Amino acid sequence: MKNPGGLFRAGYPEGTGSGTLIRAQTHRAGAPGRRTLMAGLGAGLASSLLWPKGARAAAGRQMTRSFAPVAEENALIAFGHTGPVTDGGWTTAHDLGVQAVRKAFPKLRSVYVESIPYSADATRIFRQFVAEGAQMVISTSNYGDFIKDVADRAPDVAFLECDGHNVTDNLGWFYITHWYASYIIGIAAGLMTKTNKLGYVGTFPIPSVYASANATLLGAQSVNPACTMSAIAINSWFDPQAATQAASALVDSGCDFLSGITDEPAYLRVAESRGVKAAMWNLGMRQFGPKAYVSSVVLDFAPFYVDQVRARLNGTWHAAPHFLTLADGVDRDAWGETVPPEIAARADEMRSKILAGYNPFRGPIRDNSGSIRVPAGVVMDDNMIYQWDWGVQGMTGLG
Amino acid sequence: MIALLTGLLSTAVLAGGVLALAALGEVLAERVGVTDLGVEGLMSLGAATAIITVINVPDPWLGLLAAVAVGALGGAVFAFAAVIMRANQVLCGLAITFLGLGLSATIGHSVAGMPAPVTFAPTHVPVLASIPVIGPAFFAQNLLVVPIYLLLPAFFHWLLFHTRHGLNMRAVGENPAAADAAGIPVTAMRFWYVVLGAALAGGAGAYLSLAVIPSWSEGMVSGRGWIAVALVIFAGYRPFNAAGAGLLFGLITAIGFLGQARGWPIAAPVLNMLPYLGTLAFIILPVVLFKRMRRAMAAPAALGTPYYRSIR
Repeated sequence: MKNPGGLFRAGYPEGTGSGTLIRAQTHRAGAPGRRTLMAGLGAGLASSLLWPKGARAAAGRQMTRSFAPVAEENALIAFGHTGPVTDGGWTTAHDLGVQAVRKAFPKLRSVYVESIPYSADATRIFRQFVAEGAQMVISTSNYGDFIKDVADRAPDVAFLECDGHNVTDNLGWFYITHWYASYIIGIAAGLMTKTNKLGYVGTFPIPSVYASANATLLGAQSVNPACTMSAIAINSWFDPQAATQAASALVDSGCDFLSGITDEPAYLRVAESRGVKAAMWNLGMRQFGPKAYVSSVVLDFAPFYVDQVRARLNGTWHAAPHFLTLADGVDRDAWGETVPPEIAARADEMRSKILAGYNPFRGPIRDNSGSIRVPAGVVMDDNMIYQWDWGVQGMTGLG
Repeated sequence: MIALLTGLLSTAVLAGGVLALAALGEVLAERVGVTDLGVEGLMSLGAATAIITVINVPDPWLGLLAAVAVGALGGAVFAFAAVIMRANQVLCGLAITFLGLGLSATIGHSVAGMPAPVTFAPTHVPVLASIPVIGPAFFAQNLLVVPIYLLLPAFFHWLLFHTRHGLNMRAVGENPAAADAAGIPVTAMRFWYVVLGAALAGGAGAYLSLAVIPSWSEGMVSGRGWIAVALVIFAGYRPFNAAGAGLLFGLITAIGFLGQARGWPIAAPVLNMLPYLGTLAFIILPVVLFKRMRRAMAAPAALGTPYYRSIR
């Protein structure tokens, strides 16, 4: 590791560099979680500013800047992770993608840093990547201005941000459209629940979480209109004990089907021991509770990462927003052993329809106060779902 | 309603046990005048050790024993620095926390995310388990609940307040010079009770990774060691209070989640704030309401100061 002072001089004018640090700190101080917290807090603002103008502007601009090809043996690709690669969930899923890149390009050098905090430290770490000579930097979570500042000052380095919202000449973002997989699993939930009460172990009230919980509930209501959902925000992506307590509270209140969006499998164990069902997220996790396990929203970043790295090496990479779609980066896991075959078949029917181009997120959709938010005849596209900041009818919790 | 209360109390008992056990250990260390801020790291180390042990030898008691031993070892390192070498206790404690967090992440890297092959499974204590509400919560959970909430606090309470040895312990914490003059081995007493307290912290880690969660992943202690240290102050450095404080903290957390699950018309962030509001309230209220409790609940007078015989 080089010293940070040296790094500073290597790539950045000193005065402006420290100014950036201070600005970043005041702007994001105290931000509790990853992904689209900013959008979640400034809901109206975010949707009017970022969507759909941002995406369109980005699409129009994406061909303006290209990057020189790099020989594989000279390439350095850097990954910045939000958690430890052994978290058994989100970061493990990304690490599988890193390993796929290493396998596809054996001569390329790649580095990763785990557990990067949401602070000016992130800026420092991304700068370090640049100073070490990385041609491409991929962050596996939303770092907002912390990564944009570095990208703006390193115009020759390609940046990709998971769950980002900024597209510049050299910064793009990618995200999985996990709501389709959640909708499919929701259908199974609606058919399997006996109490018609679903439980959701959420993290922060942000669009990713709204999209996931809403999609599950809408899927359930499509086959069982009596379904409601109680959601709990545990204020952490990784707190197995809080997730355990939240799940117990949900089961105590009559929920017999749990889903959620935490980085680890704690609530599946609760479901197993309490005799209810659970659907997971990130990876297949049936080993933690084979009887309770229904399915999981499985993420696969490997093909995308390999594609992007190949494009960068060939000199064909351009900054752009990417949605990884169903069966192409995100899918439901093989159904659990206790899921009746006819229920699995019914949910998979919807999967085939979605794969054929059907979008189940269509009006009328009411919010949890009963007023219509998506009128009949309107279909919520991915950009709209990506900014979702209200709970659908039948949802309690999540603020 | 009964089912709801039972569920609430069961969750609180299970989760509060981690805090209760760690806080009990800290009570011992602080009663002899040593602030051990290494609890967070020792718990993490214990949790990782317990999982690694049971993955190799599937016996939860062996896992607990290994965690207790590793906790004691970590405590001995701390006690050597802070008691024998008389280094700054706060700094040594912080060092042990960072050491424990880092070391447990390193040794636990290969087993992270793996489910524990054996756990402290729920066991019914005959007769007692059939008491409504309290029975299922205390006597139908894992076998560690009874020692943590009842046997250990009772033993340490008896030891501290009903034996001459306990009087000596408290004397060492209040006025080590006087204790030394009376012939009490101050350094040895401090050393061994810090080690014992650290062993309990290691055990709390094992309880977390073998009974509550049950698996290991980096960062899973997530601040509970610090909460345990705070609870000791709230508990007035008394064993039963410490166990009760752990339970209370578990209960308040459980109520917060229950409120969200049942859709109470209170904003989720407010419910999530409950444990911390509760801590504030429970520290402030007794002091305001009962002025005479200030002395009974006060910290040992020599807490945090190394003892030098030569400086009088």
